[in-house]
Amino acid sequence: MHNRVDKFKETARAEMKNELSQAFLLMLSLGAPIMRQIGMSSFPDPAAAEAYGRAIRTESIERLPELLEEFKKNAQAKGAKVIWARDSAEAKASVLDIAKKRGINYITKGKSMVTEEIGLNEHLISNGVDVFETDLGEVITQMLSRAPFHIVGPALNVPPEEISAVFLKRGVIKQPTVNPVELGKAVREYMREKFRYLDMGIVGVNMAVAETGTIINVENEGNIRMNKSSPRTLVAIMSIEKVVPTMADALHMVRILSRNCTGQKLTGYVSMDTGPKKSDEMDGPEELFIIIVDNGRSEIYRDIKVREILKCIRCGACLNACPIYAKIGGYPYGFSYSGPMGQILNPMLLGIEHTSDLFRACTLCGACKKICPAGIDHPSIILEYRARQIKDRKHQTLSARFENNLATCSSLAMSSSMLWNLAVKTVRPLFNSLAEDGYIRDMPFGAKGWFSCRNLRAMPDKTFHEIWKKLNLPNPDDVRKKETL
Amino acid sequence: MKVSLFIPCTVDLMMPEIGVAVYRILSHLDTRPVYHSGQTCCGQPLYNAGYRDQAKRAARHFIKVFGDDEYIVSPSGSCVSTVKQHYAELLADEPSWCDRARNISKRMYELSQFIVDVLGITDVGASFEGKVTYHESCHIFRALGISEQPRKLIASVRGAELVELGNATACCGFGGEFSTGFPEISEAMVKAKAVNFINTGADVLLLNEPGCLLNISGYLHRNHPQKRSMHLATFLAENTREFSHA
Repeated sequence: MHNRVDKFKETARAEMKNELSQAFLLMLSLGAPIMRQIGMSSFPDPAAAEAYGRAIRTESIERLPELLEEFKKNAQAKGAKVIWARDSAEAKASVLDIAKKRGINYITKGKSMVTEEIGLNEHLISNGVDVFETDLGEVITQMLSRAPFHIVGPALNVPPEEISAVFLKRGVIKQPTVNPVELGKAVREYMREKFRYLDMGIVGVNMAVAETGTIINVENEGNIRMNKSSPRTLVAIMSIEKVVPTMADALHMVRILSRNCTGQKLTGYVSMDTGPKKSDEMDGPEELFIIIVDNGRSEIYRDIKVREILKCIRCGACLNACPIYAKIGGYPYGFSYSGPMGQILNPMLLGIEHTSDLFRACTLCGACKKICPAGIDHPSIILEYRARQIKDRKHQTLSARFENNLATCSSLAMSSSMLWNLAVKTVRPLFNSLAEDGYIRDMPFGAKGWFSCRNLRAMPDKTFHEIWKKLNLPNPDDVRKKETL
Repeated sequence: MKVSLFIPCTVDLMMPEIGVAVYRILSHLDTRPVYHSGQTCCGQPLYNAGYRDQAKRAARHFIKVFGDDEYIVSPSGSCVSTVKQHYAELLADEPSWCDRARNISKRMYELSQFIVDVLGITDVGASFEGKVTYHESCHIFRALGISEQPRKLIASVRGAELVELGNATACCGFGGEFSTGFPEISEAMVKAKAVNFINTGADVLLLNEPGCLLNISGYLHRNHPQKRSMHLATFLAENTREFSHA
């Protein structure tokens, strides 16, 4: 588990100087929204399809406790073993226990953000069970020990030269190559060997269907299908919000997810598993464990102002639309989840007091809210965190107390035009004493950040209040008295 | 028709000419603009920073000052959005204030929206020889869904050629406290906006959000002093001859 949320600003600075990241981000932020647009417009009625998807996610979360019970009952009826994990420790212990009891020394894993969140790989490896990621992007980030750059494409930004070097080091290739096809083929062969002797595989879950007990995965590489069909023991790990009421709902969400994620009408592979292999079936795992991870999410469910975070389907559309993600990429967010969805989810998982930069690094532009296929209002949640942070810390430190007092003074001035105008008259000469040729170019205190790239006009001699008064234009209060103009 | 002007604090303190322009345009369009001199700030900076108790105080003052005015018009989308979309929630635990907030939200208009949708006017009589381009401010475009209206006003300016700004709906990187809290990211964003503006070859970048204007014009003044950005109200007023009497 990578958790470097405290390094947001410095990582962002470094990433803005990284030419490769910048070139890639430019391409992503221009290309991905267009791909999505093309994908969405392939619905006969895109607006209706989007509204239906939002309605499904709203229903799924409003009925969450009941749907989880229904899912568990139906999955068990089909032979799956369902395990509840209250937190990351319980989830990790369950997986390790399954592996140890079966004498397993290595497992493969395919694209699961929740296992990244709970730090499953580190736990298994340190307890003697080797873990091999199988999603190409995750193979690369695992070998480079790097956090995911994007929730959908964790290594999208890594250039072929770097991939070649690390593959060479790990014995995936014998000769260096920057040919993507050769790199892909080499990692495929490397993985096939792991799958051939596989006893236990781990996958995430895109949708868990309450009605049928089915788990659904969407992907484009086929590695998840290999993970699901090769081993004797399959462990599917899902966070609680993955459940949807019916198969029809799930299929609509698959269509929505594919389009929002990669602009595809449907991903290359969609696999559905309802229980383990039946006695009369040839393929599939003999045992299926489904671990349902809470890890702070029932807190989110109970917290009505932020509950809608759970509607997220991890499509990544908000990352591609965010103008800030487009400048800094995924690393500064410092955790499994980046971009707007990370900015709203991470503070609940890691604590508001530790994630200030995540919910402050936002202009409230609303691009995420507009694009979100689950109908999440990210800016409102960000504003809610800011308010909670201020409420929690206003008496704590000297600077927090000072800022709180400053805000109180401003609000007092805002509630009296006499005070307001008096404040203006007092501040203006001080403020303008910093100006040269009518512009301020730097400030020894306060809003220094403004002046790193911008000037600020000095305050004009007269405010609008004063101009209005001087022009002796009609005052509505006088108008009210005279009833004329 | 009586129109109550809500002049945002940024305009009052830093760019009062925008307020004068709004007055001139609205008088010219045969409305009767009035200005409550008791007004101050809608409280948006406090609200966005998380100071809700303090923002409530500003909100209650705003509601008191504007009372039951039928049309409250402002040259700022983010201020209108604050009153229209956030006051009721902010004052949720004070039922009588919350009702008043809900009520006032129905009477709030962004300037271009008011002129086009309420007055039904798209041509204010301005002429300008040259190329202009338009930045879609976040709170005007996404929060209030206003885009057609300013574009119609610009398209009706005689002689003016409206060229499309690349990535016009992308945020300019202001975001109030964001611009000072995350200066490097903010700079990268405003720089992209400036580059897109310069690439259009337009003479003027038009927008109708004072916050964006402070940011973009401040950046241009430092880095491209020959390039001009203007509030749509100022642009229309400056280029309409008949206004000179106002």
